[in-house]
Amino acid sequence: MADKVEAKEVKLTAKDFASDQDVRWCPGCGDYSVLAQVQRSFPDLVGIKKEDIVWVSGIGCSSRFPYYMNTYGFHGIHGRAAAIATGVKLANPKLSVWVATGDGDLLSIGGNHFIHACRKNVDLKILLFNNRIYGLTKGQYSPTSEQGKITKTTPYGSVDYPFRAISLALGSRATFIARTLDRDVKHLQAMIKRAAEHKGLAFVEIYQNCVIYNDGAFDIYTNKETKDDHTLYLQHAKPMLFGKNKEKGIKLDGTKLKVININESDNSINDVLVHDEFDESPLYATLLAFMAENSDLPTPVGVFRQVFRLTYDEGVENQIAHIKAKKGEGDLEKFLFSANTWEVN
Amino acid sequence: MESKAIEKEARLMKGNEALAEAAIRAKIDAYFGYPITPQSEILEYFSREMPNRGGIVLQAESEVASINMIYGAAGAGARVMTSSSGPGISLMQEGLSYIASAQLPCLVVNVSRGGPGLGTIQPSQGDYLQATKGGGHGDYHVIVLAPASVQEMADFVFDAFRLAEKYRNPAMILTDGALGQMMEKVILPEEGSLPKKTPEWATTGKPKWRERNIITSLFIQPEEMEKINLALQKKYELLKQEVRYEEFQTSDAEVVLVAFGLSARICQKVVELGREKGIRIGLTRPITLYPFPEKIINRLAKKIDFFLVVEMNAGQMLEDVKLSVNGICPVHFKGRMGGMIPSPEEVLEEVEMLLEKHSISHDMEVK
Repeated sequence: MADKVEAKEVKLTAKDFASDQDVRWCPGCGDYSVLAQVQRSFPDLVGIKKEDIVWVSGIGCSSRFPYYMNTYGFHGIHGRAAAIATGVKLANPKLSVWVATGDGDLLSIGGNHFIHACRKNVDLKILLFNNRIYGLTKGQYSPTSEQGKITKTTPYGSVDYPFRAISLALGSRATFIARTLDRDVKHLQAMIKRAAEHKGLAFVEIYQNCVIYNDGAFDIYTNKETKDDHTLYLQHAKPMLFGKNKEKGIKLDGTKLKVININESDNSINDVLVHDEFDESPLYATLLAFMAENSDLPTPVGVFRQVFRLTYDEGVENQIAHIKAKKGEGDLEKFLFSANTWEVN
Repeated sequence: MESKAIEKEARLMKGNEALAEAAIRAKIDAYFGYPITPQSEILEYFSREMPNRGGIVLQAESEVASINMIYGAAGAGARVMTSSSGPGISLMQEGLSYIASAQLPCLVVNVSRGGPGLGTIQPSQGDYLQATKGGGHGDYHVIVLAPASVQEMADFVFDAFRLAEKYRNPAMILTDGALGQMMEKVILPEEGSLPKKTPEWATTGKPKWRERNIITSLFIQPEEMEKINLALQKKYELLKQEVRYEEFQTSDAEVVLVAFGLSARICQKVVELGREKGIRIGLTRPITLYPFPEKIINRLAKKIDFFLVVEMNAGQMLEDVKLSVNGICPVHFKGRMGGMIPSPEEVLEEVEMLLEKHSISHDMEVK
């Protein structure tokens, strides 16, 4: 027998991340693309082993994700995925913990857990499959449904205002915030990889088409004819340009954003805002987050903001180390006999 | 007169929709709910029908929100209800405990499904104990009615509000996914036939002639808290006069099935099949699960050979039947779980097997 066994690292492929389960989403559902892009991106993740990956979900169509990934999986409780994932991460901080969730699961019943996971900067990767509808319960409006939307529970149009998921994450102090599209597979893969690399809470909103109950909700951002004029691809240190020939740009006018044509005589490329992903101030990112609801402006996709902060589990570990350094290693015997103890003879 | 005649005409309706239509006719002021299978049609029906017939309908952000909106609206003196299924009803238990303590009337509908956990969307009776024993923290009970037909899904809305308002206590209609989803003939209750007046305890402002009303469930002094508890217990004692049940061929029966809701529907068929075979079999069907019809079961126990309790759970009402029988005669159990529905044939087989066992032991005693 040889003294040494050569163990070569095998390069995994997308197939290695596919489980043996039949995928049961409606034909044409955007969830298939998200699953495929996750499976294609995961072999390239640096420093994250397959056996260290856990997918956690709540309830909804997107929450079937853990069944389809050949990793550890946890199908949890409606709205509670972020809390369950927090438990998983703190119990075993070396795991790479991913949450698959929808607009009902994360923003309606799970809104409280989501904002607190963001605030604590728990090292979780949250993928929000936003289709602006409840799919699993067959077509009721969701907290991201646009005002006036007609659904089974709003047959005369909804009267309440939708969440802007990006601004909610920003307001809750998430440290990595991005948006992407189910139909732009390269961009989706890039955002998944960026989220994986981030240490801290990474939030990725994916505009995902529900082919049955809300078909075409994001067509304008993905259709060949319309996407150039309606989708703004954010790139770090690059001017915010869009349009067929990148002739349109975003200019800051006071505290408002507006569209200018850089080919017009009064304007130049120097007037166009340059995107800074790493801006410490959330102000620009907030302006960008609000663009999605403004019909005069394109909708941004890409990384809105990434900042670097201690994660919750790092913070807890540091604190434990600090207390131990100050008070010494805990000693139960010593503690039991520390004060007000007496012996009975 | 003609419109009345049309009104009385039977309609073919889904259980969930008949229940919702009955609630509109009971003039509820508000409905708060959240989608969950198999009861989403209730929320959808209200969304469609309420706006021009009076009443507010709101899709809440969760069942926790729904029950607290109910708490608020009931406190303001409104006739209010919510509906959900197992997992959502679990989320409402905190609110129900507070509402019971604050003594407010409301209606909660549980179109139950197989559990525990996320379970299945198929029908189940696994929430019996949660429904009848309080469900949340503290010593309280919810009035529980169990319909066995689409007709009763509609009728019991009126009965539930009548009881809830009379006793200032939350009421629950405990039904299941099959009754919610199935279509049957129904004659709907007449609109406005349930009288309504703003209760004197509601938070409707302070007139000069009385102290202000405060809705609370906090009574920090134990002496005061005990008084509240004693009052609640007195109320539950009074509630016993509202017991309702149905008997089917029990007068000469040697074997009596005890079943509620959908199981009772199945057991009715079992009795028919058994009688065809010459078995002296009957059925007792509790309609109010809380208060439980313990007297009739105790009375029957003295006359019959044994009871067979049939439920779509692991044996929950079984406990109440055993307490009522108090050892007078044997009590057996036949159950299916997890969304499975027992067939009349398999229940009858159980009956025949038990009859054989009992005759053997009876013979042995004689010898």
